[in-house]
Amino acid sequence: MASPNLSNAAAIVGAAEADVIGYREELTGHKATSLQLHIEAINNVSQYTGIPISDIQGVFSAGWTGELAEHLGIHPRYLDTTSVGGCSFQIHVHHALAAIHAGIIDIALVSHGEAGWSYRGGGGGGGGRGGAQISPGAEMTMAYGTFGAPSQYAHAMVRHFHDYGTTLEDFAHIAVVTRDWAQLNPRAVMYGKAQSPFGGPITVQDVVDARIIAWPLTLYNCCLVTDHGGAVIVARPEIARDLATNPVWITGAGESIGHQNMVEMEDFTATSASRSSATAYEMAGLGADDMEMAMIYDSFTITAAITAEMLGLAPRGKGYTLWKNGDAAQGGRLPINTSGGGLSFNHSGMYGMQLLVEAYRQLSRTAEDGVNGIEGKQTNATTCIVNGTGGTLSTTGTLVLTSDDR
Amino acid sequence: MAYNKPVPPQGQHTKPFWDGAKDGKLMLPKCNDCGAVHWYPRLICPYCHSTNLRWIEGSGLGRIHTFAVQHRAFGGWAEDVPYVTAYIDLDEGDRMMTVLRGVDGNKPEDIKIGARVKVEFEQGNDDTYIPFWRVTEEA
Repeated sequence: MASPNLSNAAAIVGAAEADVIGYREELTGHKATSLQLHIEAINNVSQYTGIPISDIQGVFSAGWTGELAEHLGIHPRYLDTTSVGGCSFQIHVHHALAAIHAGIIDIALVSHGEAGWSYRGGGGGGGGRGGAQISPGAEMTMAYGTFGAPSQYAHAMVRHFHDYGTTLEDFAHIAVVTRDWAQLNPRAVMYGKAQSPFGGPITVQDVVDARIIAWPLTLYNCCLVTDHGGAVIVARPEIARDLATNPVWITGAGESIGHQNMVEMEDFTATSASRSSATAYEMAGLGADDMEMAMIYDSFTITAAITAEMLGLAPRGKGYTLWKNGDAAQGGRLPINTSGGGLSFNHSGMYGMQLLVEAYRQLSRTAEDGVNGIEGKQTNATTCIVNGTGGTLSTTGTLVLTSDDR
Repeated sequence: MAYNKPVPPQGQHTKPFWDGAKDGKLMLPKCNDCGAVHWYPRLICPYCHSTNLRWIEGSGLGRIHTFAVQHRAFGGWAEDVPYVTAYIDLDEGDRMMTVLRGVDGNKPEDIKIGARVKVEFEQGNDDTYIPFWRVTEEA
């Protein structure tokens, strides 16, 4: 199959978040609704870019597109409600790139709003099926006492131990390095003790000794549960160049799926990111060795480690070494999750938008605005691979982004 | 004591499985064209896309593929923490989820990937007997 050349056919021209994110009720005195988080972020990205909301021609969201368009009073001619978990937003960007390349639209909005903390305990997560039908996958697994993502992802870590001889200490380095990045992001939930009693720097021993959630996953191996809203706008190059903001080029994109239910996961130490990244690298004409930064969905330390392996950033079984040897850390060769990640910055249930916003900030040279990043956070990376993982290591969306000054 | 954990509602095309479970049999879907056994039950063979499927009585034997120990649970399961969830490689092929019997969740280091397991059934309600797997020997 011939691959159409979508490379650089569109750019992300701005990114913004809701006015207040994190523990919204504690910060404002009010719960946030998901719609509210969406609308604030959309409004902010509109103001940031100078693109009026009325100029948005395509709306891409994980199930919210109709409600958002109606709420905004706009009539977009491209609707996408792809809702496949936390990687949905990487996939939305891919779809927006294709729609722009095809000439269907010029300006696309990708939006996320998720009151993960305000409405915690409600079951949340990547989109409902609706109706009273039960899928056979759920029918044959619901009896077995798993509760949420940690209870499932733990199985992958045990298999990784078995196949590669890795240990909890190895994975703990991911949590420690990611927490260090959070010290440069004042909006990170784990920025310090003022934000959370669990905040501030942690050690490998802290991670290993923390409360067990689902063995072998201890608390610090698991992502946060927070509120978040975020949005990015994608536009064709002629528009991107006329704006005051720095464009970040979508140089490669790909998506794929391994399974929906974990019982169908063929290899418990592999995800479809091998395929989605292969597509993205091919489109970009770049490879893993060309990546100078990575934004890797870190729902759990195991997710980050496996994904690094799937993206070709480290050999199979050795993903954790990127963090352990300092490559992923401040000043390292390949900074990873410079916002503080899902582990220490913010994770609302679907973390893909947070990855996108931080990738935009880094590559547009706006990572140190004092609010979302302080001195030391901005890197000089000109290429960044962004990989979202949805479900139970199920679906993946990969983007290869490049800076305008590359 | 009545079973106090979630009991699956029976779906549209899985009756032979649940009927077998009531009789202590592990019924598995098998493709008449490619011969592969698959799990969970499909309307079409996930390997060759044939719809020429039948149910066979499985051996009820398998091995641990991977596992985890659940320390955080709700409802009836909360009484059982720490309990061990696992994925079982069936002798007939493909994989099934379960909660392991005959293991100690406080000693995960004693649980071995590859260990032999055998199916057993527990009554959930009048119609539904739920398969669980018991470790029978070391890996």
